[in-house]
Amino acid sequence: MPISFKELSYVYDLGMPYAHKALDDINLDIQEGKITAVIGETGSGKSTLVEHLNALLLPTSGRLEILDHEIVANQKHRFLKQLRKEVGLVFQFSEHQLFEETIIKDVMFGPKNFGFTEEECKKKAVEALKLVGIGPEYYEISPLELSGGQKRRVAIAGILAINPQVIVLDEPTAGLDPVGGKEIINLFIGLNKKLNKTIIIVTHDNEMVYNYCDNTIVLAKGKVEYSGLTLDLFNNKELVDKLKLLEPQIVSLKNELRENGFKVSDNIRTINEVVEEISRQVR
Amino acid sequence: MNNLVLGKYIPLDSIMHRLDPRAKLVALILMIVAIFVPKSWYVFLVIGIILVVEILLAKLNFKYVLSSVKPMMFMMVFLLIINVLTLKTGDLLVKLGPVEIYADALFNTLFVVTRLLLMIMVTTTLTATTKPLDLTLGIEHLLKPLQVIKFPTHEIAMMISIALRFIPTIIEETMRIMDAQKSRGVDFENGKLSEKIGAILSLIIPLFSVAFERAYELADAMEARGYVPGAERTRYHVLKFEVRDYIYLFLNIVVMGLSIASRFVL
Repeated sequence: MPISFKELSYVYDLGMPYAHKALDDINLDIQEGKITAVIGETGSGKSTLVEHLNALLLPTSGRLEILDHEIVANQKHRFLKQLRKEVGLVFQFSEHQLFEETIIKDVMFGPKNFGFTEEECKKKAVEALKLVGIGPEYYEISPLELSGGQKRRVAIAGILAINPQVIVLDEPTAGLDPVGGKEIINLFIGLNKKLNKTIIIVTHDNEMVYNYCDNTIVLAKGKVEYSGLTLDLFNNKELVDKLKLLEPQIVSLKNELRENGFKVSDNIRTINEVVEEISRQVR
Repeated sequence: MNNLVLGKYIPLDSIMHRLDPRAKLVALILMIVAIFVPKSWYVFLVIGIILVVEILLAKLNFKYVLSSVKPMMFMMVFLLIINVLTLKTGDLLVKLGPVEIYADALFNTLFVVTRLLLMIMVTTTLTATTKPLDLTLGIEHLLKPLQVIKFPTHEIAMMISIALRFIPTIIEETMRIMDAQKSRGVDFENGKLSEKIGAILSLIIPLFSVAFERAYELADAMEARGYVPGAERTRYHVLKFEVRDYIYLFLNIVVMGLSIASRFVL
C-alpha cells in the first residue's frame, strides 16, 4: 500500500494576519520500498510535506494514509508515537539533536523512548553505529567532540536504531564534504536494497536524484508539479525546462553523445554506465 | 509558540511609526505613571480613549492588540481568586456555601485588571510601531547621561539589540530541536514527571550547545568587521527630533499632569 496524500493542505499560523499556505491541495502517492526524491525551490513546501509523514505537522485539511495509519485533518489520533517508530525522520543539520554524554547513550535514546529494554537498546545502537561506520572506540566519548560529518552520522544512527520501515531524510548531505555526503547517500541506498526500506529524500542535488532515486516529486509554491519516475522527468527536456529544473550533467552528456552519433540508452543513470556503454561501442 | 504576539513589530506606515523612538520611550514612562497614579474610573476612561486614538493612528488592528492580552488572562483569574479569598469589605454580593464574595473584591480586581489592560495597550502600541533596533537605539540615547559615571551605555545597547535579534532565531531553533526529538519518540506533552524532565533535558542541552556555537560565530563575524567594544562609532541612521515628536511628548506630559492632579481633585 503506498503512502498517499489526499487533498491535503497545510496553513502556517492559521487565523493570523500573516497566515501562509505552505501546501495546497496535495494529491500524491509515494511507493513503498522505493527511493523517492522530493525536489523544488527553497520555500516550495518540501520540508512541510515530509513533516506530515511522521505527524510532526497535522494537515489543516485533507488526509494522509501511511502504513496502516490514516491521519485526518481536525481529528485526534492516538497512534502518533507508534507512527513515529515506523517512520523515522532525519532532519536537516540533524547533529543539533545530540545531547547525551556519550555517543552510545545518544543512539540508545530513541529506542529507549519507544519502550525497549536497556539490553535491546544497546544492541540496536551498536548495529546502527556499525551501519553508519562509527567504530566501538567512539562509543564512550561525548558526541560534542566529534567532527561535523561524524556528528551527522551519529544523529542518523539515532534514527536508524529505532529501525523504522520508512526513512525520511531532509537534505541529509547539506554542509558535508562530497566524500562524506556520498557515503551517507550510499548508506541509505544500501538500506533500501538490502532491507527494502522506503526512503524519501528532500534534496537540491539533481545529480544524486538522477543517479539513485526511483521516483521524483517536484514541488513549487506548495503544489505538486510532477510526481512519477525520475527518468521520465529528467529525460524529457521540455518538462525539465518548463519546471525550471537544473538538468543533471549526466543527461547533458548523454544528449551530447547522441548528437555525435553514439547510442545511449535512456535508462543509463551513472557516469560509470556511460563509460561502459561507450567503450563497448568504440571497441 | 509561533503565535507569540507580545512585543512583535508590525511593519506599517503611520504617524505613530514615524515618531522618534526616544519620544515614544519617554511617552511610555509618562503614560505608565498616568495609568498607575489615578484612583478614578473617569481618568481611566479618558486614558482609554486616548490609547484607542493612538492605536487608530498607528493603523493597528484591535484584534491584534487584544490578542496580546491573552497571556495575561491566567494572571487576571488568579488575581480574582486571591481577591475574593482575602478581601472581605464592602457589601456582601453572593454567598456560595463557604465562599463569600464581597463588592470590594470584585471592584478591586476590576481596577487592577483595567490598569493592566491599559498597560498592555500602551506597551503593545510602542513595540508594534517601533523596530526593536530603533528601540535599543532610543534606550542607548536616553541612557547617555550615565556615561559620566562610566556606565557602558553603548555596550548595553548592543547586547540588548543582539538579544532581541536572536529571539526569533532561538524560538525557531527550539521548534526544530523539539521536532527532531519528537521524531526520536520524545513526548513533550504526556508522561510521568521523570519522563518529562528527560524530555526537557533533550531539548535544553542541544539548545545551549547551538546557542554557544552561534555566539562564537557572531563574535568572530563582529571582530572580522572591526568591532571594538567602547570604540567611537558613527551611525547610518541619526535620530532627529521633529516638531511632531515635541507635540507628542507635550501631549503626554499634559495627560500625566492631569492624571496626577485628578488624585487631589476628584
